[in-house]
Amino acid sequence: MKIMRSGITFGIIAGLLTFLFGGWSVAVIGSLMGVGLGMGLGSGLERKDPFKIAKDVAPTAVVAGAILTLLSLYQNGFVQDAIGKQPAQLNVMIFGNLIGFLGAVLFTTLLAGMHGLPEKQEQKWKMILLAVLVVAFPFIDKLTALRWTAQIIFALIFVILGLGLNIVVGYAGLLDLGYAAFFAIGAYTTGILSSPQHGLFMNFWLVIWIAAAMAAVWGFMLGAPTLPLRGDYLAIVTLGFGEIVPVLFKNLIDVTIKEPLTCWILPGIIRLFGGETTMACITLLSHEDLTAGEKGISPIGRPIIPIINYEFESSNPIPWYFLIIAIILVSVFIIRRLRDSRLGRAWMAIREDELAAAQMGIDPVKTKLAAFAMGATFSGFAGAFYAAYIAGIFPSVFDFSASIIILCVVILGGIGNINGVIVGGLVIMTADRLFLPALKDFLASLLTHTVLPSISDPVVQLAVKDNANPILYRFLLFGLTLVIMMAVRPEGLLPNAQVRAELHPEDNSVEAATPMAKNSSKG
Amino acid sequence: METAKKGFNWRRFAIASLVLYIVFLIGPIVGLDIPVVAAAIKANPLQLVQFLIIGISNGAIIAIIALGYTMVYGIIELINFAHGDVYMIGVFTSLTVLSVTGTLESKDPVKIVLGLIFALVVAIVFCAVLNATIERLAYRRLRNAPRLAPLISAIGMSFIIENIGLMWAAQAWLVPSFGTTGGASQKVFPDMLGVLFTSLGWNINLLASSGLALRLTIKDVLVIVLAVVLMIGLYLFVQRTRLGKAMRATAQNRDAAKMLGIDIDWVITATFLIGGGLAGAAGLMAGLYNNTAWWFMGFRAGLQSFTAAVLGGIGNITGGMLGGFLIGLLASFSDGYLNARWTNALVFATLVLILLFRPTGLLGEQTGQKA
Repeated sequence: MKIMRSGITFGIIAGLLTFLFGGWSVAVIGSLMGVGLGMGLGSGLERKDPFKIAKDVAPTAVVAGAILTLLSLYQNGFVQDAIGKQPAQLNVMIFGNLIGFLGAVLFTTLLAGMHGLPEKQEQKWKMILLAVLVVAFPFIDKLTALRWTAQIIFALIFVILGLGLNIVVGYAGLLDLGYAAFFAIGAYTTGILSSPQHGLFMNFWLVIWIAAAMAAVWGFMLGAPTLPLRGDYLAIVTLGFGEIVPVLFKNLIDVTIKEPLTCWILPGIIRLFGGETTMACITLLSHEDLTAGEKGISPIGRPIIPIINYEFESSNPIPWYFLIIAIILVSVFIIRRLRDSRLGRAWMAIREDELAAAQMGIDPVKTKLAAFAMGATFSGFAGAFYAAYIAGIFPSVFDFSASIIILCVVILGGIGNINGVIVGGLVIMTADRLFLPALKDFLASLLTHTVLPSISDPVVQLAVKDNANPILYRFLLFGLTLVIMMAVRPEGLLPNAQVRAELHPEDNSVEAATPMAKNSSKG
Repeated sequence: METAKKGFNWRRFAIASLVLYIVFLIGPIVGLDIPVVAAAIKANPLQLVQFLIIGISNGAIIAIIALGYTMVYGIIELINFAHGDVYMIGVFTSLTVLSVTGTLESKDPVKIVLGLIFALVVAIVFCAVLNATIERLAYRRLRNAPRLAPLISAIGMSFIIENIGLMWAAQAWLVPSFGTTGGASQKVFPDMLGVLFTSLGWNINLLASSGLALRLTIKDVLVIVLAVVLMIGLYLFVQRTRLGKAMRATAQNRDAAKMLGIDIDWVITATFLIGGGLAGAAGLMAGLYNNTAWWFMGFRAGLQSFTAAVLGGIGNITGGMLGGFLIGLLASFSDGYLNARWTNALVFATLVLILLFRPTGLLGEQTGQKA
């Protein structure tokens, strides 16, 4: 009964999503829903014979698929009319819904059934299936003309950022509210080194490492003086750095550096005693424009694959997609190794109890600095990729709200859990980049075609029209995410078992302690 | 401390001179070009006094907001991140009240005064209730959670309120437009005090007859007087009344206070009510003084006031006031002599320096583990 309820919920949500996107989207949404539903159902069931599980979940899968298809058909028949669009062509409608339905049923039963396999095999097959889906996604997206890949790339950039911040917040337990500063440093390093502005056309494959190193160095430099501070003071200071760095990039447009001793201190002293001097003033930089201020740096060099000499283009997101997937894979690999290393265990020891950890011979300052620098490194990668992908960087992108969005990613997904952060990044950024704009268009056309003509009062009409723009409520949604997660589920959607045990001390018994050892090697 | 007794500390001197040299070297980038600033002061010394006046007036507003931070931190050790945004809501509330009551169009001095008093009362009540509601919704259930959880919740609340402010500013029927001062969402707050004093036939500049090129307006005086009155009132309240004593007891030791029969929840709610009310009053004052209303203004004000609270010694009411005036002066001199675009960064740099070198602030007590 419980699994039927989640099936119905998934079906309704997925069906409503097709309202926003229309066309072929039902096929993709149906398959993705199947994957999510299958994983969710599977993990809730007992481990038994795969076929038996598949048989158990099959009715749920069919119901979910049917709800999705019905809603999608309704969308085609009535909703399209209400928002003043032509219904989809017959073949799109038939095949889209068919694929959506079959995808939903197939993936739900398949993934739920995999839970019947022994744990090692289940992991393996799930990874293979996910890998196939990840590889196939951009091509399916291109075939169905949904144009989601470009937005998914943004989500993946934030996944890397979330993974980096997770080292600082999740592993070392230091709240960093200015993480976007390192993102900015990575992006601006790339911009300055590879744009025509300063005449340096460095190769992207080199620049990405320089950007990461630069971010790490700055993480180290900003971390060194601040790390003696405790919890919330550290948070405020990092927020300060997060504010100062974009301001710097915005305002470094007319930089003059004169050596002070020769320019005014010594002459001033000499004049004070009545002497005369004509000391030469050493000028290091004179009216130099480093960052182009609000205008931003643009264009920025793109990666070129050396042997076949292929240059990435902004019109074709598929190579970018695979590049960022590769960066994520490398990052996840490094972060997992780090987490299980001596350093990673030291981070968690510091997070749990700094005093005790110090007693056990861990140097808290060094360990925290390493966390800051490592966290910054990954945002350096993300920044370099971002700069090359957008081909233009502007200081306003990296302000406080960016830091908070990255924090949202980590907190929604699950503090300290790599898989959680990946899911969190995908959820938050697809909501922000795909769902909200689509909802805005949908509401706007629904209003102009159906709702507004029926409102006679022009004041109300204007008020409704102005306020029915979900993008205006972005901050509200991010804020709500933080507040609700903190109140209801502070450990995140996919929690790290250790963090959960810490946040819910009341059920901190044997039950909570045993799966910890098992899970922490997995998550 | 021990090395200081052994005579001159060369190492410390070397570090200090190196830091000073770097400041002189890099400083000009942020406008801290000593020869230029010195020349500007020499050319027009009266300007220094002018910036002093502006700094103290703005500092008075900052100090009042800082009191909200410092009281809340003193009692539950939480940086109430949303406090600056409550102040921003105060600005919009008073603007809306002034517009709805028709005070904005009025030229009758009696009506303007009554309208302003009414707006002050509404802004205080509304912000007080808002602040207490925030505590009830977002912080109360996290009181025993790990320390960072309520802070994250507070940041979320700040975002929510900023968004509400953004929506509020967009409603033409709530916030009338008198042209915009900056971005599209930045509204003009009409200069009601100016209108009031012209209708009374007074010159708004008190120093007009002195012949000096200085402006000390009635607005400055009013803002400073109101701020000082509020601060003294708050100080007496905390020192003398029963509730004030309960607050201090709760701040010192929550469990012990509870055992002695103090209703902790009510004391904390009262703290938030008072802090919010002060922010609402500051909102009206700032609106009248600076004549802008912007949904993002709470962020800058919040940052400056929090810095002020830390500078004075967080948890210390007198310290909050002192810090407010100092930060107001710093911001005003930075706006005037360096460059306004660096002021925020400068205030933050001050905050970092205080936290690093004197985390207890100017008037704070030594609390060991606190920072």
